[in-house]
Amino acid sequence: MRALPKHLRPRWRYFGVEIETRPDARIDRRAFQAALWDAARGLLGDPGSADCDLTVVRFRFDRETGGMGTAIVRVRRKEISRGRAALACVRAVDGQPVGLAIRGTSGTIRACADKHCRDHRGRSDTPSGPGAERSVRLPAADGSTTDRPAVGKPGGRVDVRTDEGFVGATILDLGPDSDSKFDLDSESSSDPDSE
Amino acid sequence: MLARNDPENEPMADVDDTDTGINHDASAASDRPSPFYEAVIPYPEGASTAARFALTAREYGYGGVVLRAGPGSSTPTALDLANADAIEAAYGIDVVNAIEIRADSPGSASGAVDNYRSSHTLVCVRGGSPAMNRFAAEQPRVDVLTRPMAGRGDLNHVVARAAARNGVRIEFDLGAVCRTSGGRRVRALSDLRKLRELVQQYDVPYVVSVGAESHLALRAPRELAAVGETVGFSRAAIEQGLREWGSLAARNRDRQDASFIEPGVRKDV
Repeated sequence: MRALPKHLRPRWRYFGVEIETRPDARIDRRAFQAALWDAARGLLGDPGSADCDLTVVRFRFDRETGGMGTAIVRVRRKEISRGRAALACVRAVDGQPVGLAIRGTSGTIRACADKHCRDHRGRSDTPSGPGAERSVRLPAADGSTTDRPAVGKPGGRVDVRTDEGFVGATILDLGPDSDSKFDLDSESSSDPDSE
Repeated sequence: MLARNDPENEPMADVDDTDTGINHDASAASDRPSPFYEAVIPYPEGASTAARFALTAREYGYGGVVLRAGPGSSTPTALDLANADAIEAAYGIDVVNAIEIRADSPGSASGAVDNYRSSHTLVCVRGGSPAMNRFAAEQPRVDVLTRPMAGRGDLNHVVARAAARNGVRIEFDLGAVCRTSGGRRVRALSDLRKLRELVQQYDVPYVVSVGAESHLALRAPRELAAVGETVGFSRAAIEQGLREWGSLAARNRDRQDASFIEPGVRKDV
């Protein structure tokens, strides 16, 4: 079919979305898209969901960063606010809890990728190897120490595996000698792009 | 529009306006709007430590986090070594030391409020039953009544008026809107609507949070404002509710300061 004349084409905006999961989660683009449509339908209903037309146009998620990824989500220009609300209601993908933050909106995919999508793989403080797991020594209340497996993430984040599942922590929680253990650059955590 | 009108605090109004949320953030200019705060449930009750919440909240654009731990969780545990000062220094975010009292009956809650009032900046009481809601609303020493509609909780005009009179903030918990679906969300939404109408009618002061028990459940202020708009709040009301935590913390820190005698009266130091 012939493309519509330019003034009749829908106007889009693109959300740059940052995704975080537990280190053992595996999510892909299809699952994320399904969760997004579910959330939009649940919050906005069928008509609202159709108006927003939320579509995942880029998706990147690597286990080697310990469960951090980015996505670009397309939304109709007039529906930015409702699209944002639907995105905020994505609680889990494939039953695995996700944290989502919209880092910014742009008018083109390229501008969105350049401005709002951090590539966690390239960061110097990214843990090496897929789901690199090391053991951290944690002091317990009675003065003894216990060893727990933990996965480092960019920015000084550490997910510690406990009996009740993962606990989100940072290198601040692990005591003074944990910096070397994770080779994490704690400084990089204090320069968020949100400024 | 939901607007705050708190007659009890009027003598403090100028203190509030100048001090709001910038006590601990020297870089913030005084003409900037006061920062957003989010109230979180840290480890060991939640699944993330205070430091992780602070780091995530900072990236999401919050200026502070309120750590509303339950009374039982103050014992030292293996995973939360970092204290509030260390977190503030490392991540540049205000950390508010708060307590959330969860009691079954007003009798036990009353003792707990007395116990924790002097040691914590914010004292919250979790509602969830008509008796607890009424107790919290009638206590001027309580700062926030959290989750008033959770479980079998309900609120009426008497409790709303009491809360307005005593300056007790009522919490709008957006957690159920963001994290449930279907019938549970419908009930949560109708509860929110009832609460909103009462708060509007009686000018009850309020706070907004998403009730995060894990850093993955946190959402940025703009996202919460968008969700609020979709479910019938005004954007300004949500933003005001997120800021209210900060101004409440600033007011209480001022009151706990050694030079404070009573609203409007200070000792020269």
